[in-house]
Amino acid sequence: MDWYFWIFAVIAVLAGIFTVTTREALSSAMGLLTVFIAHAALYLHLHAPLVAIFQVSIYAGAILVLIVFVIMLLMAPEERAGVIQANVSFRSFGVLLGLCLVGLVAVGVKSIAVLIARRSLPDGFGSPSVLGDAFFRDYLLHFEVVSVLLLVALIAAIYLCKKRAWKH
Amino acid sequence: MEGWVIAIIKVVFIWAWVLLIATVMTWVERRGAAMMQDRLGPNRAGPFGLFQPLADGIKLFTKEEVLPKKAHKVLWSLGPLLFALPAFSAYAVMPFGDKIVLGGKEIILQVSNVNIGFLYILAIGSLAVYGIVLGGWGSNNKFSILGGLRSTAQLISYEVPLGLALLAIVFVYGTFSLRDIALAQQGTFLGFLPNWGIFKQPLGFILFMVAIYAEANRVPFDLPEAESEIVAGYHTEYGSMELGLYLFGEYVNLVTLSSLIVVLYFGAWHIPYIDVSKFLGPVSWGIVSFLIFYLKVSFFLWLFVWVRWTIPRFRYDQVMGLGWKALIPLALFNLFITALFIQLAA
Repeated sequence: MDWYFWIFAVIAVLAGIFTVTTREALSSAMGLLTVFIAHAALYLHLHAPLVAIFQVSIYAGAILVLIVFVIMLLMAPEERAGVIQANVSFRSFGVLLGLCLVGLVAVGVKSIAVLIARRSLPDGFGSPSVLGDAFFRDYLLHFEVVSVLLLVALIAAIYLCKKRAWKH
Repeated sequence: MEGWVIAIIKVVFIWAWVLLIATVMTWVERRGAAMMQDRLGPNRAGPFGLFQPLADGIKLFTKEEVLPKKAHKVLWSLGPLLFALPAFSAYAVMPFGDKIVLGGKEIILQVSNVNIGFLYILAIGSLAVYGIVLGGWGSNNKFSILGGLRSTAQLISYEVPLGLALLAIVFVYGTFSLRDIALAQQGTFLGFLPNWGIFKQPLGFILFMVAIYAEANRVPFDLPEAESEIVAGYHTEYGSMELGLYLFGEYVNLVTLSSLIVVLYFGAWHIPYIDVSKFLGPVSWGIVSFLIFYLKVSFFLWLFVWVRWTIPRFRYDQVMGLGWKALIPLALFNLFITALFIQLAA
């Protein structure tokens, strides 16, 4: 019995459920923060300290802070989110995405026997230099493609905002 | 077993020591402010008013805890806790001296020498904002929310130049471990300069310095609690020890940040040109290195007070402008120059 895994896995799942069921925006964000930190703890357990640190400093420390910033900017503390999304196309899209996720999990479960088999770790596994080598030598092209994708998303976001501003 | 005992002693010792410094800092801040404004400051409790922090502590602990009627109970009480927790845990990877040899056993003066040391400090530091946000939002008060809002935007903006300045340090030393960085600063550089981070990263040091003043919510960047605009910002509604945790957590942060400056840019426990460890026994060198380290730290702690009572506060748009239009481009430039130098030297 791997207690460390079970404790943080249960925390992550419970906090995740809390995140999607609570109707207060900031409480929901705090639930998400708990999920991120529980994940970081699990990454540590998987001998990936660098990934754990990035999980905390990027997801919890930057992305979630931006989400919280928007919540504070646009909502008041007593405001509650509506119970059910009214827009039908949003709801059906949500169902579709949910099914995709279930499909992904099913694919993952299929190969679980390979994943849980015990094996010895290569030397320096999870250390910053090994990770850097993987990103900037072995998978440089993939890495750059992802960064271009992010840039495209950034330009699109600015374009969408500016279009509205130009009209006024 | 022995390793555990040593680890626990180190944790308890450094925890008590940091708390002691933070306590004394509250006194230094008030007396320093008084000195600069040509008044006396607290001088009644004990010699030079040195027991003032104790009196303040007793006052805060015995005061009534008031929960505002419209506050969100859970978030409101989580706020100070989430602010103090990162402040108290960041010191876990900070070296506070070289090493001490007791009974043939070498003990390094650092709680944990992990190889991703200062990424840990960055990650923990980035969590402190949630304490401020929850305090502001949970209070359900316009001024508190404004304080929390300002804090999120400010911390996000200044974390970028901070991270980039630290990245340049990684370029120079080639390691994330704070102890290895401290050890690498012994001896001289170019023949006459001490081998300290500030001489290898002068621009990086200035950027780092400005960014940590913003991260610590200190003047001239204390917009989240600007008393002339938004009462006391995110801690307007707090009283008793909950307020105490916010105020005290800030001083603990100052100790951590000052120690970080000393480790990264000011040679940790090394004295320029003299290798003191050659003249001292292994035990006394451990103690002396600890003292040298905190002598340097105390200068930067004093600098925080000095700046606070010297420089006026920025306007909010100026803070944002400085962060995004000045510090980030400069930090990228610094990174580029550093990389160029390292490539040419290699």
